[in-house]
Amino acid sequence: MPQSSIFDDYLDRLTRELSFDVALSRRVRQEVEDHLLEAVAAEPGDALIEAQYRAIRNFGDPRDIASQYAALSLLKQARRVGTVVVLVIAGIFIAMKGRGAWYDVMQWGLSPDLRDIVKIGLLIDRYAFMVTLAIGVVGWAYIGSRPVSATCHAAYRDQLKRCLLLCIAAAVPLIASVVTDVILTGLRVFEARLPPSALVPLLSMAAEIALAGVHCCRRPARKLGAEAALPASIASSANRIRGSRQIQHFSRLSRTTSPDYPARCPLSGSPEKRFRAIQQARP
Amino acid sequence: MLKGHLDMIVLAALATGPAHGYAVIQEIHRRSGGAFELPEGTIYPALHRLEQMGLLDSRWTTAESGRRRRVYALTKRGTRALTDHRAVWQRFSDAIGGLIGQTSHATVQHIR
Repeated sequence: MPQSSIFDDYLDRLTRELSFDVALSRRVRQEVEDHLLEAVAAEPGDALIEAQYRAIRNFGDPRDIASQYAALSLLKQARRVGTVVVLVIAGIFIAMKGRGAWYDVMQWGLSPDLRDIVKIGLLIDRYAFMVTLAIGVVGWAYIGSRPVSATCHAAYRDQLKRCLLLCIAAAVPLIASVVTDVILTGLRVFEARLPPSALVPLLSMAAEIALAGVHCCRRPARKLGAEAALPASIASSANRIRGSRQIQHFSRLSRTTSPDYPARCPLSGSPEKRFRAIQQARP
Repeated sequence: MLKGHLDMIVLAALATGPAHGYAVIQEIHRRSGGAFELPEGTIYPALHRLEQMGLLDSRWTTAESGRRRRVYALTKRGTRALTDHRAVWQRFSDAIGGLIGQTSHATVQHIR
């Protein structure tokens, strides 16, 4: 085997195991490559191939190494999701306030028939948004204050689950708020008989919907959600969220390397059967 | 035992100055007299974790060979954390030392 391909094969395997975090895998690959070359350079003698194999052996199994990065990567992603949630809420707040100011500038009034409906709508909108803001800030503070763990142990997974629940809890009133906004804006635009100036509230409304969409559909949130559900649904989560290589990786890594995960958990059979077996096997 | 103290060991290895991963491992090996037989790959996740915790700072540099190299250095928080770790370890070491010394003494007395 050519000398370079010995390291390349090993580094490719490590990169594959770390594919749940592309940026991390790139960085680790460069670091490890430098390490291995340095280790070989420090070896006396001419037996280069043996030195390369020895360097790889001393470095350890790529899967074990990747599993040690998993906990760190998850927390990083959870924090990123928390930041996105807060930014989305801030963006929606700006869009709402901007639209209100536009109505005042344009002096868009409402017919007396609609005033009561709008009043109720505004109340729902305001309180739903306040609840979203409160949960979002609490969630952000919670995610930010979690200590970095070396392994994906049970308590750590519970913390990630809580992060996910807070994200979902913030999403529900946010959706209510945006839906109410859509209705209220629709009423105002309808009343104004669609003048060109109606483009501003419509655009701000579109921005709100897009931001809410980011909050609800962002990929890391889904990834985090599936990982947070580990190990109770370790086998099924990877199948349920198809196309997410990261989940499959986390599942595989946790299944094979997590000390908290019982080795005798069945990975076949019905989901209920697997869940019961996992619950029984838990310490 | 080593696993629980890996963070302290890595911080201590970087106390002498900034270093890349391989140099950190060599420093641990040298200062421990080769006592710790840990897989070298475990040092890197520890370095990343300590960086995430704000105890280390890192940057890419270019080595003499022309390769890109990540160099880690203690931050102020890292230095403080190492001081705390040392104090805790000293107390623990003194306590165990005293306990084992006393036990040995009592055992000797009993045998006599």
